[in-house]
Amino acid sequence: MSKLYTFLKYFFITFWTVFVVAPFLWAVSTSFKDFQSVNSKVTYIPWLDFEPTLEGWRVLIKSPAKGGVDIVEPYFNSIFVTCTASLISIVLGTLAAYALSRFTFKAGFVRNNDITFFFISQRIMPPIVLSIPFFIFLSTIGLLDSLLGLVVVYIVLLMPIAVWIMVDFFNRVPKELDETALIDGCNPYQAFYKVVLPNSIPGLIVAGMFCIIFGWIDFFFAFILTFTEVQLLPVKVVALNSSITPWWSLSASALVSVAPLIIVAFIVERYLSKGNLSGALK
Amino acid sequence: MEEQMAKIDLSNISHTYNPLDPKPTYALNPFSMTWENGKRYAILGPSGCGKTTMLNIVSGLVRPSKGEILFDEMPVTDLKTEDRNIAQVFQFPVIYNTMTVYDNLAFPLRCREFTKEKIEERVKSVSDTLNLSSFLNSPARKLTADQKQLISLGRGLVREDVAAVLMDEPLTVIDPDLKFRLRRNLKEINEQYKTTLVYVTHDQNEAMTFAENIIVMDQGEIVQVGLPKDLFEKPKTTFVGYFIGSPAMNIFHSTVSSDHEVKINDTTIKTNSNLGNLKDKNVKLGIRSEFIELAEKEKSNTVKIKLTRVEDFGNFKLLTGKMGDVVIKSKVEREKPIPDGELNLYFPPEKCCVYSDEKLV
Repeated sequence: MSKLYTFLKYFFITFWTVFVVAPFLWAVSTSFKDFQSVNSKVTYIPWLDFEPTLEGWRVLIKSPAKGGVDIVEPYFNSIFVTCTASLISIVLGTLAAYALSRFTFKAGFVRNNDITFFFISQRIMPPIVLSIPFFIFLSTIGLLDSLLGLVVVYIVLLMPIAVWIMVDFFNRVPKELDETALIDGCNPYQAFYKVVLPNSIPGLIVAGMFCIIFGWIDFFFAFILTFTEVQLLPVKVVALNSSITPWWSLSASALVSVAPLIIVAFIVERYLSKGNLSGALK
Repeated sequence: MEEQMAKIDLSNISHTYNPLDPKPTYALNPFSMTWENGKRYAILGPSGCGKTTMLNIVSGLVRPSKGEILFDEMPVTDLKTEDRNIAQVFQFPVIYNTMTVYDNLAFPLRCREFTKEKIEERVKSVSDTLNLSSFLNSPARKLTADQKQLISLGRGLVREDVAAVLMDEPLTVIDPDLKFRLRRNLKEINEQYKTTLVYVTHDQNEAMTFAENIIVMDQGEIVQVGLPKDLFEKPKTTFVGYFIGSPAMNIFHSTVSSDHEVKINDTTIKTNSNLGNLKDKNVKLGIRSEFIELAEKEKSNTVKIKLTRVEDFGNFKLLTGKMGDVVIKSKVEREKPIPDGELNLYFPPEKCCVYSDEKLV
């Protein structure tokens, strides 16, 4: 029985691993192919099945004047917008979450939970509902087609995630921890950043991970709110497509755009698997 | 560093958690109390009686709805927690997970900007007392629950200048053997440093063995303040009688029959209380099972009971008997032979307490 169980366990893990990894390998292989190797017959292994070429990769850094598509600038734009928006969202979101977790707010019928829900409700709306308001808003303040405008919009999108995760996290940190810090002689601000915050690092990392992922993969707002001045990576990658689909450079750009997330995943994995994501105190 | 302990005065304190309600319910009813410098106090009472609220008021975590707190005649009611010299230990260990044991113990001193040498000296002394010396450099989160609680205690004791160390059932998570040793340690610390210790508990044994003065609370009310002996022998209310002692005090419905006598069913019991002035003749008679004696034969102040159960506790036997429908419990020495069936129990008059309207006459 247990043998069968072990077998099934390994079988499914292997199956799942292949399922997840195969497309990546396929993309790696495709990125080194040329038109001929993609379109004539199915080929897998470089040198054996086809002659590898770096053309797919070169196109990505060549300037459009020389027939390339240059994703370098959009790449750094994306990094800048995602990191700035995530950082601001995490800072503001953590402060908001701490307040929502520790203090009682009353305004008419509105209580803490209603405020928390208000934050989350921003994510419940389909993004398309927000597109017109955002467009008008950004054009009014003159930030359409600019990095700053995108950062502002992304903060709106990412902060609810940070608030949501951190409220839940702070609620699990006993109030006595703050109180002890006060008794030990901290003022409330010191208690927050000397005691509560260091204890919340796992939560901060998870919230940060979600912010980065959601910021990085957003196509919709990047597409609607930018035109020519500024472009983000997801938009640029889609723009690669033309009448003849350049599978090789699409694969290459897919790989470079996924790379940062893979790095993030490896860093965060340590914190997730340790099981100290929740209940850091007990 | 000069030692600066304080007398703590709680003057007309009361507290409610819903002050905006038209009819607020009070977690603490108005009371006044003084905690003398350097003494050991225990606050004893069932869950939800306001013990923790009282501690939080003293440490400043809760601002009382009414009343004033004075440390050495200085009003501190509006002073913030971090500016009061109070240490508080909670029921469950609260440690700074990200720091080592040493840093945990040093934290209160660092917050108050003590010199490095002073911090080292104090941490060493406290960790020696609490047997934590060998863990000083390990991360605090790696320790067991009772060691963590020792750290919490240590953070309270590390400051010499505290006005009082408040402990909210601090030994709940600690195993019995260590509990006993720690209580003795706390006593020693109190005697050595003259730190005022206030200890909240619902365990009467803990309170009795630890404190010089016991404050018994019930439903936001301070019922009795006194020495362990007073609480045991002369409980001021039937609640204290029930709450203190194991088994609880025997309490019987009775009626006043003369200036010094009451009747339970038809048996007359003489007491030392003066009952002449009582308007309500329906009273309660209370007597500790420890004070009820076995009598050879019927005489004055004896009641005849039918033995229903004998429990052997090793060091004593607990007799349960019935007189009509009245249940009486008596603790007797283990060696005493117990006659079967009916027996006579003697109620010493000086040990009988009479309660009118639940209060001692």
